[in-house]
Amino acid sequence: MRKKSSKITIDPKYILAVILFFCIVLGIVSYRFSDKLTPIRSAIGTVITPMQKGVNTIGSKLSEKLDYVTTMKNTVDENKKLKQELEELSAENKLLQQDKYELENFRELYDLDEQYAGYPKVAARVVSSDGDNWYNSFIIDKGTEDGIQKNMNVMADGGLVGLVTKVNKSYAKVRSIIDDDSNVSGTLLKENENCIVSGNLQLMNEGVIEVTGIDGNAEIDDGAEVVTSQISDKYLPGILIGYLKDLQKDSSNVTQEGYLSPVVDFSGLDMVFVITEVKDSDELEEMLE
Amino acid sequence: MKRYLSMFLLIVLCFVAQTSIFPHLALTNIIPNLMVVLTAVSGFMHGRKFGMYSGFVCGVLVDFMYSDVIGVSLFIFVLIGYLNGVFNKLYFKDDLSIPLFAIAFSDIIYGLLYYICNFLLRGRFQILYYIKSIMIPEMIYTILTGIVLYHLIHWIEDRLYPPQDVPLGKGDKINNL
Repeated sequence: MRKKSSKITIDPKYILAVILFFCIVLGIVSYRFSDKLTPIRSAIGTVITPMQKGVNTIGSKLSEKLDYVTTMKNTVDENKKLKQELEELSAENKLLQQDKYELENFRELYDLDEQYAGYPKVAARVVSSDGDNWYNSFIIDKGTEDGIQKNMNVMADGGLVGLVTKVNKSYAKVRSIIDDDSNVSGTLLKENENCIVSGNLQLMNEGVIEVTGIDGNAEIDDGAEVVTSQISDKYLPGILIGYLKDLQKDSSNVTQEGYLSPVVDFSGLDMVFVITEVKDSDELEEMLE
Repeated sequence: MKRYLSMFLLIVLCFVAQTSIFPHLALTNIIPNLMVVLTAVSGFMHGRKFGMYSGFVCGVLVDFMYSDVIGVSLFIFVLIGYLNGVFNKLYFKDDLSIPLFAIAFSDIIYGLLYYICNFLLRGRFQILYYIKSIMIPEMIYTILTGIVLYHLIHWIEDRLYPPQDVPLGKGDKINNL
């Protein structure tokens, strides 16, 4: 082994320097001309993603089994509680059903119904997650072949999950709204105030995300509904994001900021819906130019 | 050559495992960084060149699959492979403490560089928070999985290049004396 390796006499230092240079060039190329590298991305993706898909099913089976063992003890207690809850809920349900008729009438007035149900959707399965602890994006098993395009909105549990940021033939990458890079412009449904919802790694572990830029004079209760705004350039309007809490004046005293607890449970994402309609902001951009 | 090929396959396997099995086994939302383990161990066992090779493969996988700007993780991984290769002289097969220390150190370096490149530059200054809640837990979990991986890599190495008998010449003379 010694003899073989001594044939190549380049000092590893120089290889390191060459790779550093290569990385910088690659970084600039991928930043400025991200389309140019798509063939390589999809080549790697087509090999890796099917493997992830297969292994992922094993993984979820495994975690199911683990959960099964750990929760067995609590199940009996839980069962009692649940039975009680069931009775309460079925009583509540009757009341709610009455409310529902009322609600439908209101919806017709507000024209909200059309916005939600009107979007065409495609269901997709979450295949793999980001692979490191810093960001929060994941891969779904639908791609251009299933009509997915970049900048499509992704939903689950009736709330906003995120945005498709990269698409290949058979898979797509979704950046969730709790990702540190993500910013969504939202509207407070009742008060009609605009705000910015931005993901934050530090707050993510507490199960909330940041809301900033609400008008300082607006009086807003905790639990106000935040939906995506009309003025957003990528998100379709009227999708529920979450509920406000702990609102307070920020340091400038001009706007208010607070936290938002998302409707979607991001730790247990399995199936998501992709809205196959892209908000067309190209015309707007042309106008602005 | 066999070594390069087997390491390549091992990296791909670990990458798939890391992205699809470990998220299910996450402890307090933290998953171990197998790529760092592989890069550090290969540099430590076989020197700078092999370390850089493993780092390069890991970096390409991570960057092309998940990053928007390609090159950052790629370089961090190559650097980790190189740094561990420098300490190749300390390598002694049966001693477990030094490689584990190398893995821990590499993971912290990875965390810090990653923080600087991707978070500090965007004005996220709470470094203590990131150290406490991400880097340290990740390091501990990484060491635990690192022990298993380290033994696996040794096992493969022994299969590929079975330990040979020491040439008898000198040993005989000592015995005769």
